[in-house]
Amino acid sequence: MAGSLGVGPARKEREAQGASEHARGVVARAEEVFLGRDPGLCSEIPDRTLEKMNCEMGGHQVKVFGRAIHALARISEELWLDPTERGLALRSVNSCRSAYASVLFPTSFFQLYQWSATLQICDSNMPLHLKCKLGMKSVLPIFRCLNILERNVEKCSIFTSANTCRVIFQLFCKHGIIKTHNLSFQESEPLQAVFAKNMCPNILKVQSRLLADIMIHFPLSQEEITLAVTPMKVCFKSYIEDEIDFAKCMYTEMHLDPDEFDYFQIGVDTEVTFCLKELRGLLAFSEATIAPVSIYFDLSGKPVAFSIDEMVLEATFVLATLADVQSSRSSPSSLCLSQRLKRSDLMKSKADAGDDLTNTEKESSTVRAASKRPSRHERQLDATELESFYVPAVKRLDTHIAEATENYQVYSKFCSLFFGAVSPKQHDFNHPWINLATVSDSEEDVSNGPLSQVF
Amino acid sequence: MWCELGQGNFFDEFQMEGVAADHNEIYLELTPENLSRALKTAQNAKTVKIKLTNKHCPCLTVAVELPSLSSSSRIVTHDIPVGVIPRKLWTDFREPTVPDFDVSIYLPVLKTMKSVVERMKNISNHVVIEANLKGEMNLKIETDLVCITTHFKDLGNPLWASEDASQDRDSENMAEARIDIKKLLQFLAGQQVNPTKALCNIVHNRIVHFILLHEDVSLQYFIPALS
Repeated sequence: MAGSLGVGPARKEREAQGASEHARGVVARAEEVFLGRDPGLCSEIPDRTLEKMNCEMGGHQVKVFGRAIHALARISEELWLDPTERGLALRSVNSCRSAYASVLFPTSFFQLYQWSATLQICDSNMPLHLKCKLGMKSVLPIFRCLNILERNVEKCSIFTSANTCRVIFQLFCKHGIIKTHNLSFQESEPLQAVFAKNMCPNILKVQSRLLADIMIHFPLSQEEITLAVTPMKVCFKSYIEDEIDFAKCMYTEMHLDPDEFDYFQIGVDTEVTFCLKELRGLLAFSEATIAPVSIYFDLSGKPVAFSIDEMVLEATFVLATLADVQSSRSSPSSLCLSQRLKRSDLMKSKADAGDDLTNTEKESSTVRAASKRPSRHERQLDATELESFYVPAVKRLDTHIAEATENYQVYSKFCSLFFGAVSPKQHDFNHPWINLATVSDSEEDVSNGPLSQVF
Repeated sequence: MWCELGQGNFFDEFQMEGVAADHNEIYLELTPENLSRALKTAQNAKTVKIKLTNKHCPCLTVAVELPSLSSSSRIVTHDIPVGVIPRKLWTDFREPTVPDFDVSIYLPVLKTMKSVVERMKNISNHVVIEANLKGEMNLKIETDLVCITTHFKDLGNPLWASEDASQDRDSENMAEARIDIKKLLQFLAGQQVNPTKALCNIVHNRIVHFILLHEDVSLQYFIPALS
């Protein structure tokens, strides 16, 4: 592109400094900023008619959108963009698959929302959704300073071009300035964790203000927190993993009355322990919204979901929880098996009902992602490679058990990924995944591998 | 740093049992950050209770009752692990005696002093505090490029019981000490409220001793001089 209007080196540098240098992302280009007054001059912007997704949001929405990205950035270095007919979903999952976050902006959030399935034919002869994974380092700088965004940006446009594998973010700012960010995306299966919120026996609904007031009592360095409930009482307490830490760390406990909750349903007394650090992304996000936060959970080991359901967006954070070692009587493998059976039963009934499994997490599909700490004496889980986890979001099921079988094997992998799969032969110390639940039998483990999670 | 709080000024109830009847004291060691964090969250508390407990190890348990939206209050408990100091080490923690100082002087307004020192800290690592019995105090920093002195006048000198040492002193003579500027700043930055009385004793080239008196609390801060 001819940069006939000279751009001073200082400005170029400033623009470059503001953007990420991620290998896959592409930096905003100074020429585009300068020439952006008339998009027609930028011949590199792909023809919009070929796009798969094109949406626009107004100035007020940009800040909310940016907040969502900040919240997701706490979970992972990667961001999945998943446009659907319902709206645009932003998703991320952490490297050890123990935390998943998804924010869905419905079509009503946007001033303009165009989405079309590609005509690409795949095995199942079904249209595929856009599969788009971005580096968080590329996206976050675009929305770094929320206050500045709020002041300056009048409109934000996001569109894709599958043939050049780019997602383009255009910020239309005051004074006719247009900032265009071309980001390369990586093709990948859409990410989705399916979590049956409605099946959870315990549901709490709490004002975000109260949730913030609770969490403020726990230090920022507190890794994990336990939520203990009975029908009479709710208690949040810090979770201290290693015995060595007991003598050094402050332990905090907070008791609340059920009356403080907008909605309080406890079906089963339980104590669930999850990562507080990851949750803080949602907490910061929730303080900006007015809607209350709903907490769905079950027995320890089953994941806990935090969700915000507003007119303008739906946000869900699903976190794995630690299993209570004492309470698990049966061996992990049999527990896993029984869960598989349960799952296949439910899937069968779903198949019978003729429901399609589509990629909306609000459908009552039935995967229970379990996180287990295998009991210290039994480690007969099969060594599972913790390869990249992708749940094929669009897998149309005929009402075949066979297909259901295939599917739940995928889901059981999801399950076992949370298991902190341990090879019966040896510890794989080079393993890149650090799980929420780890097994350690001896002193050596403590010194050789990291026990506490690093996020 | 040495700080004394009178029980009656702070606590509605106070009960303790020391090691022995004649040594009715308990010495505990803890991480101040833990205690400060626990108390910080008790800003709007209805009540706060501090107890010495023995959970997995000796702990200072801070139990805070907070107002809530419902009829029953929210209760937050913090267990802060502490170390109990055995009696044989108590002598290490005796209140330091007021040294035989050369000059004693009232401090200027702490806020002003703090903003001056804050700017100085960017230029030098050490500061010289000097004062005389005429109520004059100077803060001096010196580098290769620049010397900066801030003069405070008419501060006043407190009268101490034993005035023998200071009587012989020429009132114009400055007693000085060169100290680490960060330590001075730490002391000044920690003061949230203006004290009733604030004074400073200087032992020439040895030590600077700050005494702050509030209604309920006395604070003493010792900063040794650098060579």
